[in-house]
Amino acid sequence: MQANSQIACFDCDLLINVPEMAENHSLICPGCHSKQFTKYKDPLNYSISFASSAIIMLFLANSFPFLSFEAQGQIRTITLIQASQEMYTLGFVVLASLVYAFMLLLPILYLVSLLILLVPIKLDRKPFMPVFIGRLMGFFLTWVMVEVFIVGVLVALIKVIDLADIIIGFSFWAYIGFVIFFTLTANIANRHQLWDWIEHARH
Amino acid sequence: MQDTEERSLDSQRVSAESMPNRDFPEGSAAHKGLACCNICHLLSPVAMQRCPRCNASLHLRYPHSIQRTLALIFTAILFYIPANLYPIMTTTMLGDETSSTILSGVVLFVEHGSYFVAFVIFTASILIPLAKIIIILWLCYATSKQSRLSRAELTRLYRATEFIGKWSMIDIFVVAILVALVQVSSIMAIEPGTAAQAFAGVVMLTMLAAHQFDVRLMWDKQQ
Repeated sequence: MQANSQIACFDCDLLINVPEMAENHSLICPGCHSKQFTKYKDPLNYSISFASSAIIMLFLANSFPFLSFEAQGQIRTITLIQASQEMYTLGFVVLASLVYAFMLLLPILYLVSLLILLVPIKLDRKPFMPVFIGRLMGFFLTWVMVEVFIVGVLVALIKVIDLADIIIGFSFWAYIGFVIFFTLTANIANRHQLWDWIEHARH
Repeated sequence: MQDTEERSLDSQRVSAESMPNRDFPEGSAAHKGLACCNICHLLSPVAMQRCPRCNASLHLRYPHSIQRTLALIFTAILFYIPANLYPIMTTTMLGDETSSTILSGVVLFVEHGSYFVAFVIFTASILIPLAKIIIILWLCYATSKQSRLSRAELTRLYRATEFIGKWSMIDIFVVAILVALVQVSSIMAIEPGTAAQAFAGVVMLTMLAAHQFDVRLMWDKQQ
Protein backbone atom coordinates (compact mmCIF):
# COMPACT_ATOMS: atom_id res chain seq x y z
CA MET A 1 0.00 0.00 0.00
CA GLN A 2 2.25 2.81 -1.11
CA ALA A 3 1.51 6.31 0.12
CA ASN A 4 0.77 9.21 -2.24
CA SER A 5 -1.31 6.98 -4.48
CA GLN A 6 -4.74 8.26 -5.37
CA ILE A 7 -8.14 6.69 -4.90
CA ALA A 8 -11.64 7.90 -5.68
CA CYS A 9 -14.28 7.80 -2.93
CA PHE A 10 -16.76 5.09 -3.85
CA ASP A 11 -19.65 7.17 -2.53
CA CYS A 12 -19.02 10.68 -3.87
CA ASP A 13 -16.17 10.12 -6.39
CA LEU A 14 -13.92 12.68 -4.69
CA LEU A 15 -10.22 12.26 -5.50
CA ILE A 16 -8.32 11.37 -2.33
CA ASN A 17 -4.54 11.23 -1.91
CA VAL A 18 -3.84 8.23 0.29
CA PRO A 19 -1.61 9.38 3.17
CA GLU A 20 0.93 7.29 5.06
CA MET A 21 -1.30 5.38 7.46
CA ALA A 22 -0.67 3.97 10.92
CA GLU A 23 -1.99 0.56 11.95
CA ASN A 24 -5.66 0.29 12.89
CA HIS A 25 -6.41 3.64 11.30
CA SER A 26 -9.19 4.12 8.76
CA LEU A 27 -9.25 6.46 5.83
CA ILE A 28 -12.34 8.68 5.84
CA CYS A 29 -13.43 10.59 2.73
CA PRO A 30 -13.08 14.33 3.46
CA GLY A 31 -16.07 15.09 1.24
CA CYS A 32 -18.81 12.74 2.41
CA HIS A 33 -17.21 11.18 5.55
CA SER A 34 -17.69 7.60 4.39
CA LYS A 35 -15.08 5.06 5.45
CA GLN A 36 -12.81 3.94 2.63
CA PHE A 37 -10.73 1.21 4.25
CA THR A 38 -8.87 0.32 7.43
CA LYS A 39 -5.25 -0.63 7.68
CA TYR A 40 -4.72 -3.60 9.99
CA LYS A 41 -1.63 -4.91 11.71
CA ASP A 42 0.17 -7.73 9.90
CA PRO A 43 -2.80 -8.48 7.60
CA LEU A 44 -1.22 -11.41 5.75
CA ASN A 45 -0.53 -13.56 8.82
CA TYR A 46 -3.79 -12.63 10.54
CA SER A 47 -5.87 -13.37 7.43
CA ILE A 48 -4.28 -16.77 6.95
CA SER A 49 -4.71 -17.76 10.59
CA PHE A 50 -8.29 -16.48 10.92
CA ALA A 51 -9.31 -18.11 7.63
CA SER A 52 -7.79 -21.44 8.74
CA SER A 53 -9.51 -21.17 12.13
CA ALA A 54 -12.82 -20.49 10.38
CA ILE A 55 -12.38 -23.59 8.20
CA ILE A 56 -11.59 -25.75 11.25
CA MET A 57 -14.65 -24.37 13.05
CA LEU A 58 -16.83 -25.11 10.03
CA PHE A 59 -15.46 -28.65 9.91
CA LEU A 60 -16.37 -29.10 13.59
CA ALA A 61 -19.79 -27.55 12.99
CA ASN A 62 -20.48 -30.24 10.41
CA SER A 63 -19.28 -33.13 12.58
CA PHE A 64 -21.61 -32.95 15.58
CA PRO A 65 -25.36 -32.54 16.26
CA PHE A 66 -26.58 -29.00 15.68
CA LEU A 67 -29.89 -28.93 17.58
CA SER A 68 -32.19 -31.44 19.25
CA PHE A 69 -35.93 -31.12 19.68
CA GLU A 70 -37.70 -33.17 22.33
CA ALA A 71 -41.49 -33.45 22.38
CA GLN A 72 -43.56 -36.07 24.21
CA GLY A 73 -40.75 -38.53 24.65
CA GLN A 74 -39.51 -38.33 21.09
CA ILE A 75 -36.19 -36.73 20.26
CA ARG A 76 -35.34 -35.27 16.89
CA THR A 77 -31.67 -34.34 16.35
CA ILE A 78 -30.47 -32.47 13.28
CA THR A 79 -27.06 -31.68 11.88
CA LEU A 80 -26.16 -28.37 10.25
CA ILE A 81 -26.51 -29.67 6.71
CA GLN A 82 -30.06 -30.88 7.40
CA ALA A 83 -31.23 -27.27 7.55
CA SER A 84 -31.17 -27.33 3.76
CA GLN A 85 -31.45 -31.10 3.17
CA GLU A 86 -34.97 -31.42 4.61
CA MET A 87 -36.34 -28.78 2.25
CA TYR A 88 -34.68 -30.60 -0.63
CA THR A 89 -36.39 -33.89 0.27
CA LEU A 90 -39.72 -32.04 0.48
CA GLY A 91 -39.22 -30.86 -3.12
CA PHE A 92 -38.18 -27.25 -2.50
CA VAL A 93 -35.01 -27.57 -4.54
CA VAL A 94 -34.40 -23.86 -5.25
CA LEU A 95 -34.97 -22.83 -1.65
CA ALA A 96 -32.78 -25.64 -0.33
CA SER A 97 -29.94 -24.72 -2.72
CA LEU A 98 -30.14 -21.04 -1.72
CA VAL A 99 -29.99 -21.82 2.00
CA TYR A 100 -27.12 -24.27 1.41
CA ALA A 101 -25.17 -21.74 -0.68
CA PHE A 102 -25.70 -18.77 1.66
CA MET A 103 -24.79 -20.47 4.92
CA LEU A 104 -22.22 -23.11 3.90
CA LEU A 105 -21.03 -23.33 0.30
CA LEU A 106 -20.16 -19.69 -0.50
CA PRO A 107 -18.40 -19.00 2.84
CA ILE A 108 -16.23 -22.10 2.42
CA LEU A 109 -15.46 -21.20 -1.22
CA TYR A 110 -14.49 -17.71 -0.09
CA LEU A 111 -12.16 -18.98 2.63
CA VAL A 112 -10.53 -21.62 0.41
CA SER A 113 -10.01 -19.05 -2.39
CA LEU A 114 -8.40 -16.69 0.10
CA LEU A 115 -6.00 -19.39 1.28
CA ILE A 116 -5.17 -20.44 -2.30
CA LEU A 117 -4.23 -16.82 -2.89
CA LEU A 118 -2.44 -15.99 0.35
CA VAL A 119 -0.47 -19.12 1.23
CA PRO A 120 1.76 -18.90 -1.90
CA ILE A 121 2.28 -15.17 -1.20
CA LYS A 122 3.34 -16.03 2.34
CA LEU A 123 5.79 -18.62 0.96
CA ASP A 124 7.11 -16.13 -1.63
CA ARG A 125 5.73 -18.08 -4.57
CA LYS A 126 3.52 -16.94 -7.41
CA PRO A 127 -0.14 -17.55 -6.59
CA PHE A 128 -2.38 -19.40 -9.05
CA MET A 129 -4.55 -17.08 -11.20
CA PRO A 130 -4.70 -14.26 -8.62
CA VAL A 131 -6.95 -11.92 -10.63
CA PHE A 132 -9.53 -14.60 -11.34
CA ILE A 133 -9.59 -15.63 -7.67
CA GLY A 134 -9.89 -12.01 -6.53
CA ARG A 135 -12.90 -11.43 -8.77
CA LEU A 136 -14.54 -14.67 -7.62
CA MET A 137 -14.05 -13.71 -3.98
CA GLY A 138 -15.84 -10.41 -4.45
CA PHE A 139 -18.81 -12.30 -5.88
CA PHE A 140 -18.82 -14.92 -3.10
CA LEU A 141 -18.68 -12.34 -0.33
CA THR A 142 -21.76 -10.49 -1.62
CA TRP A 143 -23.93 -13.54 -0.98
CA VAL A 144 -22.45 -14.86 2.25
CA MET A 145 -25.12 -14.70 4.99
CA VAL A 146 -23.61 -16.60 7.90
CA GLU A 147 -24.45 -13.97 10.51
CA VAL A 148 -28.04 -13.76 9.23
CA PHE A 149 -28.30 -17.53 9.48
CA ILE A 150 -27.32 -17.46 13.17
CA VAL A 151 -30.01 -14.88 13.95
CA GLY A 152 -32.47 -16.99 11.93
CA VAL A 153 -31.63 -20.02 14.11
CA LEU A 154 -32.18 -17.97 17.27
CA VAL A 155 -35.58 -16.70 16.07
CA ALA A 156 -36.58 -20.28 15.12
CA LEU A 157 -35.62 -21.44 18.62
CA ILE A 158 -37.74 -18.73 20.23
CA LYS A 159 -40.64 -19.87 18.05
CA VAL A 160 -40.52 -23.49 19.20
CA ILE A 161 -39.29 -23.07 22.76
CA ASP A 162 -42.87 -23.28 24.12
CA LEU A 163 -43.61 -26.46 22.15
CA ALA A 164 -40.74 -28.62 23.30
CA ASP A 165 -37.38 -28.90 25.00
CA ILE A 166 -34.50 -27.68 22.89
CA ILE A 167 -31.00 -29.06 23.31
CA ILE A 168 -28.26 -26.96 21.73
CA GLY A 169 -25.56 -29.17 20.27
CA PHE A 170 -21.82 -28.65 20.01
CA SER A 171 -22.11 -27.78 16.30
CA PHE A 172 -24.14 -24.70 17.15
CA TRP A 173 -21.29 -23.24 19.22
CA ALA A 174 -18.75 -24.27 16.58
CA TYR A 175 -20.82 -22.46 13.95
CA ILE A 176 -20.87 -19.31 16.10
CA GLY A 177 -17.07 -19.54 16.35
CA PHE A 178 -16.96 -19.94 12.59
CA VAL A 179 -19.07 -16.79 12.10
CA ILE A 180 -16.74 -14.79 14.35
CA PHE A 181 -13.58 -15.96 12.53
CA PHE A 182 -15.21 -15.46 9.15
CA THR A 183 -16.16 -11.87 9.98
CA LEU A 184 -12.63 -11.13 11.23
CA THR A 185 -11.14 -12.61 8.04
CA ALA A 186 -13.45 -10.67 5.72
CA ASN A 187 -12.66 -7.44 7.60
CA ILE A 188 -8.89 -7.80 7.47
CA ALA A 189 -8.78 -9.06 3.88
CA ASN A 190 -10.94 -6.13 2.75
CA ARG A 191 -11.20 -5.18 -0.90
CA HIS A 192 -8.39 -2.63 -0.72
CA GLN A 193 -6.01 -5.04 0.99
CA LEU A 194 -6.97 -7.98 -1.22
CA TRP A 195 -6.27 -6.17 -4.49
CA ASP A 196 -3.08 -4.76 -3.05
CA TRP A 197 -1.85 -8.32 -2.50
CA ILE A 198 -2.98 -9.36 -5.96
CA GLU A 199 -1.19 -6.42 -7.58
CA HIS A 200 2.06 -7.25 -5.80
CA ALA A 201 1.68 -10.95 -6.61
CA ARG A 202 1.50 -10.20 -10.34
CA HIS A 203 4.91 -8.53 -10.45
CA MET B 1 2.65 -3.11 -33.17
CA GLN B 2 2.51 -3.25 -29.41
CA ASP B 3 4.59 -0.11 -29.29
CA THR B 4 2.15 1.93 -31.33
CA GLU B 5 -0.71 0.57 -29.28
CA GLU B 6 0.97 1.69 -26.10
CA ARG B 7 1.73 5.07 -27.52
CA SER B 8 -1.87 5.60 -28.61
CA LEU B 9 -3.02 4.56 -25.12
CA ASP B 10 -0.60 7.09 -23.68
CA SER B 11 -1.84 9.88 -25.90
CA GLN B 12 -5.41 8.97 -24.98
CA ARG B 13 -4.47 9.21 -21.34
CA VAL B 14 -2.94 12.63 -21.83
CA SER B 15 -5.93 13.95 -23.73
CA ALA B 16 -8.31 12.58 -21.12
CA GLU B 17 -6.39 14.22 -18.32
CA SER B 18 -5.89 17.57 -19.98
CA MET B 19 -9.54 17.96 -20.93
CA PRO B 20 -11.70 18.14 -17.80
CA ASN B 21 -15.10 16.55 -18.20
CA ARG B 22 -17.52 19.33 -17.33
CA ASP B 23 -20.45 16.98 -16.73
CA PHE B 24 -18.95 16.11 -13.38
CA PRO B 25 -18.23 18.37 -10.37
CA GLU B 26 -14.73 19.71 -9.82
CA GLY B 27 -12.54 17.61 -7.54
CA SER B 28 -14.23 14.38 -8.56
CA ALA B 29 -12.30 11.63 -10.30
CA ALA B 30 -14.69 11.65 -13.24
CA HIS B 31 -13.98 15.36 -13.80
CA LYS B 32 -10.40 14.40 -14.63
CA GLY B 33 -11.49 11.44 -16.76
CA LEU B 34 -10.43 8.94 -14.10
CA ALA B 35 -12.63 5.94 -13.42
CA CYS B 36 -12.71 3.89 -10.24
CA CYS B 37 -12.84 0.19 -11.16
CA ASN B 38 -16.09 -1.43 -10.00
CA ILE B 39 -14.35 -4.65 -9.03
CA CYS B 40 -11.00 -3.68 -7.50
CA HIS B 41 -11.42 0.10 -6.95
CA LEU B 42 -8.22 0.95 -8.83
CA LEU B 43 -8.21 4.43 -10.30
CA SER B 44 -7.31 4.59 -14.00
CA PRO B 45 -8.09 6.81 -16.99
CA VAL B 46 -11.45 5.81 -18.43
CA ALA B 47 -9.89 5.97 -21.90
CA MET B 48 -8.06 2.72 -21.13
CA GLN B 49 -11.44 0.97 -21.25
CA ARG B 50 -10.25 -2.00 -19.19
CA CYS B 51 -8.84 -1.95 -15.67
CA PRO B 52 -5.09 -2.67 -15.87
CA ARG B 53 -5.25 -4.61 -12.61
CA CYS B 54 -8.35 -6.83 -12.88
CA ASN B 55 -9.37 -6.43 -16.54
CA ALA B 56 -12.94 -5.36 -15.71
CA SER B 57 -14.41 -2.81 -18.13
CA LEU B 58 -14.06 0.75 -16.87
CA HIS B 59 -16.97 3.17 -16.56
CA LEU B 60 -17.14 6.60 -14.97
CA ARG B 61 -20.57 5.58 -13.62
CA TYR B 62 -22.40 2.22 -13.74
CA PRO B 63 -23.95 1.98 -17.20
CA HIS B 64 -27.77 2.37 -17.16
CA SER B 65 -27.68 2.31 -13.36
CA ILE B 66 -31.14 3.80 -12.77
CA GLN B 67 -32.88 1.74 -15.48
CA ARG B 68 -31.42 -1.52 -14.17
CA THR B 69 -32.21 -0.64 -10.56
CA LEU B 70 -35.81 0.22 -11.44
CA ALA B 71 -36.26 -2.96 -13.50
CA LEU B 72 -35.04 -5.10 -10.59
CA ILE B 73 -37.16 -3.19 -8.07
CA PHE B 74 -40.34 -3.61 -10.13
CA THR B 75 -39.63 -7.35 -10.41
CA ALA B 76 -39.16 -7.42 -6.64
CA ILE B 77 -42.53 -5.68 -6.18
CA LEU B 78 -44.18 -8.37 -8.34
CA PHE B 79 -42.57 -11.10 -6.21
CA TYR B 80 -43.69 -9.28 -3.05
CA ILE B 81 -47.39 -9.92 -3.83
CA PRO B 82 -47.31 -13.76 -3.75
CA ALA B 83 -44.80 -13.58 -0.89
CA ASN B 84 -47.51 -12.03 1.28
CA LEU B 85 -50.61 -13.78 -0.09
CA TYR B 86 -49.45 -17.40 -0.01
CA PRO B 87 -48.56 -19.31 3.17
CA ILE B 88 -44.88 -19.23 4.11
CA MET B 89 -45.23 -22.48 6.06
CA THR B 90 -47.77 -25.15 6.93
CA THR B 91 -47.83 -26.69 10.38
CA THR B 92 -49.38 -30.11 10.88
CA MET B 93 -50.16 -30.79 14.52
CA LEU B 94 -51.89 -34.08 15.37
CA GLY B 95 -53.48 -34.16 11.93
CA ASP B 96 -54.57 -30.52 12.00
CA GLU B 97 -53.11 -28.44 9.19
CA THR B 98 -52.62 -24.71 9.68
CA SER B 99 -51.08 -22.49 7.04
CA SER B 100 -49.59 -19.21 8.07
CA THR B 101 -48.64 -16.26 5.92
CA ILE B 102 -45.90 -13.83 6.96
CA LEU B 103 -48.44 -11.44 8.45
CA SER B 104 -50.48 -14.09 10.27
CA GLY B 105 -47.26 -15.36 11.86
CA VAL B 106 -46.70 -11.92 13.36
CA VAL B 107 -50.34 -11.66 14.49
CA LEU B 108 -50.04 -15.07 16.17
CA PHE B 109 -47.09 -13.90 18.26
CA VAL B 110 -48.89 -10.72 19.27
CA GLU B 111 -51.89 -12.78 20.41
CA HIS B 112 -49.58 -15.02 22.44
CA GLY B 113 -48.07 -11.95 24.07
CA SER B 114 -44.54 -12.52 22.66
CA TYR B 115 -44.18 -8.93 21.57
CA PHE B 116 -40.42 -9.09 21.13
CA VAL B 117 -40.47 -12.01 18.65
CA ALA B 118 -43.40 -10.41 16.87
CA PHE B 119 -41.35 -7.23 16.59
CA VAL B 120 -38.27 -9.06 15.23
CA ILE B 121 -40.27 -10.94 12.59
CA PHE B 122 -42.34 -7.88 11.68
CA THR B 123 -39.17 -5.81 11.21
CA ALA B 124 -37.21 -8.41 9.26
CA SER B 125 -39.98 -9.76 7.03
CA ILE B 126 -42.37 -6.86 6.49
CA LEU B 127 -40.78 -3.56 7.44
CA ILE B 128 -37.27 -4.01 5.96
CA PRO B 129 -38.25 -5.35 2.49
CA LEU B 130 -40.91 -2.68 2.14
CA ALA B 131 -38.59 0.08 3.41
CA LYS B 132 -35.87 -1.10 1.02
CA ILE B 133 -38.18 -0.97 -1.99
CA ILE B 134 -39.46 2.51 -1.05
CA ILE B 135 -35.98 3.89 -0.26
CA ILE B 136 -34.46 2.62 -3.52
CA LEU B 137 -37.36 4.05 -5.54
CA TRP B 138 -36.93 7.35 -3.71
CA LEU B 139 -33.15 7.38 -4.30
CA CYS B 140 -33.72 6.80 -8.03
CA TYR B 141 -36.08 9.77 -8.00
CA ALA B 142 -33.59 11.84 -5.95
CA THR B 143 -30.88 11.51 -8.63
CA SER B 144 -32.99 13.59 -10.99
CA LYS B 145 -34.69 16.07 -8.67
CA GLN B 146 -33.61 18.38 -5.89
CA SER B 147 -34.43 16.61 -2.66
CA ARG B 148 -35.10 17.83 0.86
CA LEU B 149 -32.35 15.66 2.34
CA SER B 150 -28.72 16.53 1.71
CA ARG B 151 -26.58 14.35 -0.53
CA ALA B 152 -24.60 13.09 2.46
CA GLU B 153 -27.83 12.00 4.18
CA LEU B 154 -29.07 10.26 1.03
CA THR B 155 -25.71 8.50 0.73
CA ARG B 156 -25.95 7.29 4.31
CA LEU B 157 -29.48 6.09 3.59
CA TYR B 158 -28.20 4.13 0.61
CA ARG B 159 -25.36 2.52 2.57
CA ALA B 160 -27.84 1.54 5.30
CA THR B 161 -30.13 -0.01 2.69
CA GLU B 162 -27.24 -1.92 1.17
CA PHE B 163 -26.06 -3.14 4.57
CA ILE B 164 -29.49 -4.24 5.75
CA GLY B 165 -30.22 -6.07 2.48
CA LYS B 166 -29.28 -9.57 3.48
CA TRP B 167 -30.97 -9.39 6.90
CA SER B 168 -34.43 -9.95 5.41
CA MET B 169 -33.26 -13.48 4.62
CA ILE B 170 -33.85 -14.29 8.35
CA ASP B 171 -37.35 -15.53 7.63
CA ILE B 172 -36.13 -18.05 5.05
CA PHE B 173 -33.56 -19.42 7.49
CA VAL B 174 -36.21 -19.62 10.24
CA VAL B 175 -38.40 -21.71 7.94
CA ALA B 176 -35.42 -23.89 6.97
CA ILE B 177 -34.56 -24.61 10.61
CA LEU B 178 -38.18 -25.22 11.63
CA VAL B 179 -38.76 -27.59 8.71
CA ALA B 180 -35.67 -29.58 9.62
CA LEU B 181 -36.19 -29.54 13.38
CA VAL B 182 -39.93 -29.98 13.84
CA GLN B 183 -40.43 -33.39 12.24
CA VAL B 184 -41.64 -35.49 15.13
CA SER B 185 -43.51 -38.31 13.43
CA SER B 186 -47.31 -38.29 13.87
CA ILE B 187 -47.19 -35.43 16.39
CA MET B 188 -46.14 -32.41 14.39
CA ALA B 189 -44.43 -31.47 11.15
CA ILE B 190 -43.71 -28.21 9.33
CA GLU B 191 -43.52 -27.76 5.57
CA PRO B 192 -42.35 -24.69 3.65
CA GLY B 193 -44.95 -22.84 1.58
CA THR B 194 -44.94 -21.16 -1.82
CA ALA B 195 -44.41 -17.74 -0.28
CA ALA B 196 -40.96 -18.75 1.00
CA GLN B 197 -39.65 -18.99 -2.56
CA ALA B 198 -41.26 -15.72 -3.59
CA PHE B 199 -39.86 -14.04 -0.49
CA ALA B 200 -36.33 -15.29 -1.19
CA GLY B 201 -36.82 -13.77 -4.66
CA VAL B 202 -37.80 -10.41 -3.14
CA VAL B 203 -34.72 -10.37 -0.90
CA MET B 204 -32.30 -11.29 -3.69
CA LEU B 205 -33.83 -8.89 -6.21
CA THR B 206 -33.73 -5.95 -3.80
CA MET B 207 -30.09 -6.81 -3.00
CA LEU B 208 -29.24 -6.83 -6.71
CA ALA B 209 -31.12 -3.56 -7.20
CA ALA B 210 -29.15 -1.92 -4.39
CA HIS B 211 -25.90 -3.13 -5.98
CA GLN B 212 -26.87 -1.71 -9.34
CA PHE B 213 -27.62 1.74 -7.95
CA ASP B 214 -24.75 4.20 -8.33
CA VAL B 215 -24.66 6.64 -5.37
CA ARG B 216 -22.18 8.87 -7.17
CA LEU B 217 -25.00 10.00 -9.46
CA MET B 218 -26.36 12.02 -6.56
CA TRP B 219 -23.06 13.82 -6.10
CA ASP B 220 -22.91 14.71 -9.79
CA LYS B 221 -25.76 17.20 -9.49
CA GLN B 222 -24.49 20.67 -8.76
CA GLN B 223 -26.03 21.95 -5.55
